[in-house]
Amino acid sequence: MLGNLNIRVIFEYFPALWQGFLNTLMMSGLGFAGAMILGIIACALTIQPLRWLRAPAVAYVDVIRATPLLAQLYFLYFGLPRLGILLPEILIGIVALALNSGAYVAEIIRSGILAVPRGQFEASMSSGLTYLQRMRFIILPQAIRPTVSPLIGQAIVLVKDSSLLSLISVVELARVGQQIALDRFMPVEGLAATAAGFLIIYYMLKALAALWSRFNRLPGQA
Amino acid sequence: MIRFQGLNKWFGNALHVLKDIDLDVAKGEVVVVCGPSGSGKSTLIRCVNGLEPFQKGSLTVDGVDLGAKGVALRDLRMEVGFVFQQFNLYPHKTALENVTLAPIHVRGLSKTEAVERGEALLAKVGLADRMNNYPSQLSGGQQQRVAIARSLCMQPKIMLFDEPTSALDPEMITEVLDVMVSLAKEGMTMMVVTHEMGFARKVAHRVVFMDQGAIVESGEPASFFGNPTHDRTRDFLSKVLHH
Amino acid sequence: MFWFQVERLLNYWPLLLKGLGMTVSLSLISLLIGGVIGLLFGIIRAGRIRWLSFVVGLYIDLFRGTPFLVQVFICFFILPSVGIELSAFSAGVLALSNLSACFIGEIVASGIKAVPRGQSEAALSSGFRHWQQLRLIILPQALRIVRPSLVGQFILLVKDSSVISAIGIMDLTRSGWMIVQNIPNGLLIFGVVGVGYFIICYPMIFLARRMERRNQSSLL
Repeated sequence: MLGNLNIRVIFEYFPALWQGFLNTLMMSGLGFAGAMILGIIACALTIQPLRWLRAPAVAYVDVIRATPLLAQLYFLYFGLPRLGILLPEILIGIVALALNSGAYVAEIIRSGILAVPRGQFEASMSSGLTYLQRMRFIILPQAIRPTVSPLIGQAIVLVKDSSLLSLISVVELARVGQQIALDRFMPVEGLAATAAGFLIIYYMLKALAALWSRFNRLPGQA
Repeated sequence: MIRFQGLNKWFGNALHVLKDIDLDVAKGEVVVVCGPSGSGKSTLIRCVNGLEPFQKGSLTVDGVDLGAKGVALRDLRMEVGFVFQQFNLYPHKTALENVTLAPIHVRGLSKTEAVERGEALLAKVGLADRMNNYPSQLSGGQQQRVAIARSLCMQPKIMLFDEPTSALDPEMITEVLDVMVSLAKEGMTMMVVTHEMGFARKVAHRVVFMDQGAIVESGEPASFFGNPTHDRTRDFLSKVLHH
Repeated sequence: MFWFQVERLLNYWPLLLKGLGMTVSLSLISLLIGGVIGLLFGIIRAGRIRWLSFVVGLYIDLFRGTPFLVQVFICFFILPSVGIELSAFSAGVLALSNLSACFIGEIVASGIKAVPRGQSEAALSSGFRHWQQLRLIILPQALRIVRPSLVGQFILLVKDSSVISAIGIMDLTRSGWMIVQNIPNGLLIFGVVGVGYFIICYPMIFLARRMERRNQSSLL
């Protein structure tokens, strides 16, 4: 099967593949930025005491987590025009990615804050720091540290999920691979090139996570 | 029964944890090993059942040469009981199951036989009413007594204790030591790493003092406690005795 | 207009129910197959045979690093070209089982590594054989530790199964896609589809959370 891999086709389509690769990166980047903003807001709302603000945030996180991205994507793709909102597919895709990952980001950040031992809150309160000082100097530094690796993990998920945008005919890496497969009846070449592109991003993000945890370990931590 | 001859062990290349250890433990003898933390006493006792490999010298246990290639460690371990500082009971098994698991699966005892033996041993360590409790439902002292019964249920020839009371609250130390004392009186061959000098004085045939990976001094309890020859021993004893 | 669409949607009710059934059976079959293979993967990954662990690790990475959609296409388009003809359903089950085996493998390996070292030392000291140690002492504890993650994995499986609709499997998502071609109201149709997934997944999210809380308290 690999013996008669047609490398020429991959070269021929290289500009298209490269464009797809860049599109995947761009959409993932924007999607993740949106997810971080949404996630931080949703998390802030779920841990504050006002019930009427908490309920919608909790509902958002739960609904997103209990339904597949593809259904969410179709919901927006087939649904937004109904509301008179006409957006280009690529924008719908980015919004769907951000909405989806935002819920997971909210959960990750929340568990980071919950993981700070109660004693830290009590100690920082007893030392007379104000609420903002407590958050800034004591709680957040400890809460953020354990969230970095899971957040990079979520970024990996998002990059892979962005391939679903090909199903609403956004041109990205997976779509170009499908084109090679269908135009030239060369599924092996097309899908191998696609897979390779995603693996490059995957290994780069994985290396980033490894680097981070190597250089940000507290002394004495395993 | 246990013979160390010129045994040396390194962790990696730099850390020389055991230096030229020579030590004999006869059948039925009770040897207490003491010394400051980091002196290598736990590593020493862990060598005896092959939990730690060593690089130089020889160690013979019950006729088995542990330095030899392809040594049947499993067969040896069936004859050597080991009690850990942290108990290491199996948390998903009841006290009785903890005790009978190895006799059934390693010795091949029938379940009824193993249960009979296990119940007798748990009763002996004073836990007849706790057999069906899980480790998380037992106090530290009770857990350690289960751990001792677990080792005994294999009917070992040698019992090794690695700081068996160090993880216990003070009020529970006695109940564990009592079990060990009665075991010693029955003639079990024992090597015990501990800071409990009262126990050493009462039942040990010999006390060994280690520091920085080497055996500094060893002798019968009377002379060891009454007339230690080395400054380091005296220094150590004054720290553990005057508290 | 809206109520008219709802009425028409009611005609498609059987299609949606069948789609839901397909989603559930795809997920369950893949969970079963993936669970068995994943357990094996996990044992190998946490095991002492270095080269085998490396090879399995590489295999797992390949599938964790590529989009599931691409994997589904590989099963559906490439395997036939090397002479393995699969129906869309078998291709879907193959892709989904394989994916879940990879994720479950990593979960099980992490569970095995999370069992304290003292447990295997104690087992070793009692003379257990390697596989006895694994079966009687390590695995029962490891599986208890990772139970919430396994439930979480099943939730992912249910959601990932929607991607298989891309090769024409009539699952819940696909039936929504079919209906929306006739009733042009994406909000309504995919709202209903979403409810279907929610009914399956939400109780499990709840369960996973409860297990996690119980695990934490039992570790204290």
